[in-house]
Amino acid sequence: MLSRLIAEQALAAALKTGGDFAEIFYEDTRSSSLTLNAGAIETALTGRSAGAGVRVYKGLSSVYVFTNDVSLSGLVRAAQKAADAIGSADRTVDVRLTGAIPRNIHAIAQLPMDVPGARRARVVKAADAAARAVSAEVSQVTARLYDWETDVVIANSEGLLAPDRRVYTRLALTAVASAGGESQTGSCNPGAMMGFELFDGRVDPEEVGRRAAKQAVTMLHAEPCPAGVMCAVIDKGFGGVIFHEACGHSLEATAVAFGNSEFAGKLGQQIASPIVTAIDDGTMENEWGSINIDDEGTPATRLVLIENGVLKNYMVDRLNGRRMAMAVTGSARRQDYTCAPTSRMRNTFIAPGNDDEGEIISSMGDGLYAKAMGGGSVNPITGEFNFAVSEGYLVKGGRIDRPVRGATLIGKGADILKKIDRVGKTLELGQGMCSSVSGSIPVNVGQPMIRVTDITVGGR
Amino acid sequence: MERNEFYERLFQRAKEAGFSACEVYYAAGESFSVTVFGGEITDYSASEACGLGFRGLVDGKMGYASTQALDEDSIALLVEGARENARLIECEDEQFLFAGAEKYADVQNYCPDIDETTGAEKIKLCKSLETMAVAMDARLRREAEACVFSESSAVEIVNTLGLRVERRSNIIGGYVQPVAEEGGRVSSGFSLFFENDPAKIDAEKAAREAVKEAVDGLAAKSVPSGSYRVLLKNDVAAQMLRTFSGVFSADRAQKGLSLLKGREGEKIAADCLTIADEPHLPGRAASTPFDGEGVPTYRKEVVSGGVLRTLLHNLKTAKKQGVETTANACRGGYGSPVGVAPSNFCVQPSNLAFEDMLDLLGDGLLITDLQGWHAGADVVSGDFSLPARGYRVENGKIAGSVNQITLAGNFFALLKSVEAVGGDVKFSAPGASAFASPSLLIPALSVAGK
Repeated sequence: MLSRLIAEQALAAALKTGGDFAEIFYEDTRSSSLTLNAGAIETALTGRSAGAGVRVYKGLSSVYVFTNDVSLSGLVRAAQKAADAIGSADRTVDVRLTGAIPRNIHAIAQLPMDVPGARRARVVKAADAAARAVSAEVSQVTARLYDWETDVVIANSEGLLAPDRRVYTRLALTAVASAGGESQTGSCNPGAMMGFELFDGRVDPEEVGRRAAKQAVTMLHAEPCPAGVMCAVIDKGFGGVIFHEACGHSLEATAVAFGNSEFAGKLGQQIASPIVTAIDDGTMENEWGSINIDDEGTPATRLVLIENGVLKNYMVDRLNGRRMAMAVTGSARRQDYTCAPTSRMRNTFIAPGNDDEGEIISSMGDGLYAKAMGGGSVNPITGEFNFAVSEGYLVKGGRIDRPVRGATLIGKGADILKKIDRVGKTLELGQGMCSSVSGSIPVNVGQPMIRVTDITVGGR
Repeated sequence: MERNEFYERLFQRAKEAGFSACEVYYAAGESFSVTVFGGEITDYSASEACGLGFRGLVDGKMGYASTQALDEDSIALLVEGARENARLIECEDEQFLFAGAEKYADVQNYCPDIDETTGAEKIKLCKSLETMAVAMDARLRREAEACVFSESSAVEIVNTLGLRVERRSNIIGGYVQPVAEEGGRVSSGFSLFFENDPAKIDAEKAAREAVKEAVDGLAAKSVPSGSYRVLLKNDVAAQMLRTFSGVFSADRAQKGLSLLKGREGEKIAADCLTIADEPHLPGRAASTPFDGEGVPTYRKEVVSGGVLRTLLHNLKTAKKQGVETTANACRGGYGSPVGVAPSNFCVQPSNLAFEDMLDLLGDGLLITDLQGWHAGADVVSGDFSLPARGYRVENGKIAGSVNQITLAGNFFALLKSVEAVGGDVKFSAPGASAFASPSLLIPALSVAGK
């Protein structure tokens, strides 16, 4: 682990040439994965990665250098490299760090590394068997159990020395259903910021297998989705990816600080339908997108982004906070030590509303009911987003008519937020990996069932 | 500990632990990037990192473990970890290590000039990229994100059967993202470039392309939903090939995840389509004299005149199917197991110019950008439904720009329906595999618009 003395020396070296702030992010990660394919365990991997990143600011300029030589000399060399890139002064800086007590708001009961292989194998086998039992059309199942535990130490020239431990466990299952030379897939990928206790009641591997398999079989018998503009109901849970793409990324300081967001300069303005309240919360107990402290050492927060349609807050990291003259929000995240942190989402969701799910569909007339969603993407500059519907149904006269495959929803964030005319009562979260500037990180998306009055549906 | 000494002690320890043969895959890289916005450096990053993957045969099973630290503790962790992991494996596929070959091709994809380009020179290039781009049109915002990066990587594979191979490659590139604004409408453009030689960089061309995309997008409109004749621009076609390249993997086919399973020798594409795996192209980061198992690589046509000649194999999948490996074993990283992937996977060009392709298109859509690949394309079914940008084409002439539409179809159907292949080959972004295609003319794809 990174000692106080080493951190102090490296930070001093980092500030030698005139930088006004320096930070070290030290990381030691143990990971493992177990993959089952065609009914048998095919791959078992374990790995260890360790390294550190040194960041120096001078005004609004930032330099990041990382290395996996974490010895004193390795870290000082990285710090010097960063210092040389940011300035040319020659001064002596004294850095004194005060150790912080680890903040642990997400209890971990059973470290995955301590769980015997045979027990881990039982999880993927149970999921596989349940998936195959759904239908003879289920032709292939891939189940992957993976986990990682990371110890980090974050130290900065303001005196912070904060250790943190992060533990994540996830089961990812993809089922393929085949008939008549065609194949369709279904997937279910639950995870949490917790250890192997994930499977003590919170996630049932058999249910994971069944859900994915049913989706694959349903889609195998679905027709291609018709193309056009229509009313769409997006179900609770991973459906929240619509908010994540249509709005979330555009509220990250990474985009806002440079004016590269359609929501830049709109704090206090009505940007969404008044029935929309949206929250980004890093404090939810053991959730996939939760944190104890962010990757700059700021404690997790619960942040209201939109309240009754009015834009309240952006997600702000330290560097962009300087650009925007705004306080940090505990939103700085990074994949690992190879990435400089920036503002990212945590558990982001639309808050529960007052509408009844049955009524939401029965009053919609004709349209699309998107029951399960795949991922999506967005261009924050223009707000143009897209996401894929992995299980969809056509609705006729307020009744679910038949399954359709291959639907994609596209639109502009600012338009879509105003077209939400129903928000259900029951919130559910769904797990995803979000890729952006600072790498791939675990996030939750979420929402109750919502309805959008009209949206472009891609199909054929 | 010195690297070779580490290998020796690791192999010794593995032998004592019961491994009959074992191997290390060592990867090291250096990377640099600088980002500029409004003339200020907003991001600057420099790094070096390495990692080592160990694998070995114990009781006929292949165990894997990896580390970033080459110290005494790691030797025990690797050997114990790999042995424990091997015990969990149930899959009965026969596993191999390769003993090495006498001859490997001489592949030129390392350019000393890249490593000699200084940080200051790259910053200068980056700033000029932004300045050049924002001056090209009055409707552009005066600030645009620009980035210049360079990467250098080395790989070494050594095993107890006698294999010892190494390679290195490097690349320099960048991107610029100008934003145009007019009458409340905002449109962004993006252009990525990369070269194996700093002298070949054409920053002005990159800036011009990005600016054109941003400015043209201002007037972009949706089109009515329906079926359209479509010209997929070269880089979009290359992305399409990249997204669906898994269907050519024998590993995926044997697992029932590719609809091309067992279809070798069959017509799977239009006559005009030939796709080759070309591992020896000079100056390409994905070019390599040996694959992820150390087997010498060679050029092969995977699809010739529409006929599927072979799937891509590694030693394990080849043995399983009773054929020779095509030397397409890949390691996603030092910590990843052996899989299958192409090197440079290239749709072979015709002699038709881009303008000829527009003429052949006649009336339809030129698609210059597709997004959302990771979600809107399913490799197993071949279905795709993706947001698109491009132009309306009337009588072979560009008539107006288009956005807020989606393009949908099926990759397998698309392969069969290709009406013409252009001559304007472009490569996708560099990586362990690279994909290249000229523009492709497709007679019918579904568009969702207004």
